[in-house]
Amino acid sequence: MSASDDQADVERVVAGDISAFEGIVRRWQTPLVNLAYRFCHDRGRSEEMAQEAFLRAYRALAQWRKDAVFSTWLFALATNVYRSELRRIPAHTVALDEVTEPADTRASDGGLEDQDRDLAIRRAVFALPPKYREAVILFYFHEMDVTSAAQSLSLPEGTVKARLFRGREILRGKLPQLLGVPRLKEAL
Amino acid sequence: MNDDEVDRMLSRDDEILASSGFVSRVMESVRQEALVPPPIPFPWKRVVPGLAIAGLALMTLLIALAVTTVRYAGAMTARVSGPFSGPFSMPSSLFHGGIESAVTWTALALAAALLSVKLSMGFASSSV
Repeated sequence: MSASDDQADVERVVAGDISAFEGIVRRWQTPLVNLAYRFCHDRGRSEEMAQEAFLRAYRALAQWRKDAVFSTWLFALATNVYRSELRRIPAHTVALDEVTEPADTRASDGGLEDQDRDLAIRRAVFALPPKYREAVILFYFHEMDVTSAAQSLSLPEGTVKARLFRGREILRGKLPQLLGVPRLKEAL
Repeated sequence: MNDDEVDRMLSRDDEILASSGFVSRVMESVRQEALVPPPIPFPWKRVVPGLAIAGLALMTLLIALAVTTVRYAGAMTARVSGPFSGPFSMPSSLFHGGIESAVTWTALALAAALLSVKLSMGFASSSV
């Protein structure tokens, strides 16, 4: 993905060439759909949310200031859309204490099957309180970059770090139980 | 379970692909959006004179009220030094002004109402 491609397409769209927006959609559809999926865990809804994000981006394209990276602007806008959408119609979540441990799905090496483990992790993240969940989702979505996560959430880096720390702390307490791994304190 | 393990587990999330018709659906909604005329901007040029007149009228009213209050206070002070002053005694200007002042205020209120109706009708007819 090239920043100059984005800039050229944005300039064409702002000048009135709507078809140039297709280039932006093609380049950013996978990241935006994936980000939406991490927020709602529903394939159909993630596409609807990403479509709404693209539409909002089209409306606000003239407001993009070129001193900011296009992807940062787009992710911040999409994150806002997803957060509002989930406030309007919340995704089906369960409380963290209600996330069940998978039933006897131990593989021959004693651990859980990868698929079950991933599912348990996703459920645990999904059950976090929203402000911690958003920080965790965006931090790992941005490949563990706090600055990018903070920009997407329009929050100071310190706030994101604090939320991330608290979110991981909650997860660290819950994951061993979910994954059938004894806690370090208990093992000692 | 240490931070690295948590990081490793949380970093490993499946990547999903948008369905084949996603781009065309987005572009369709964008084209429909482009067909919608832009929202009509708020008519500040027309509203500002009205707001200015209303502000001026309010200022005049406040000044008139202040002047009346000062006169009333003066009248009250004069009465205190007199033989009798009750708590509910009214300003003499109201009695002395009588019908003439009431007529003046009513006429002014009617004129203001007429002016605002005329202005509204003028704005409405010019915008259609």
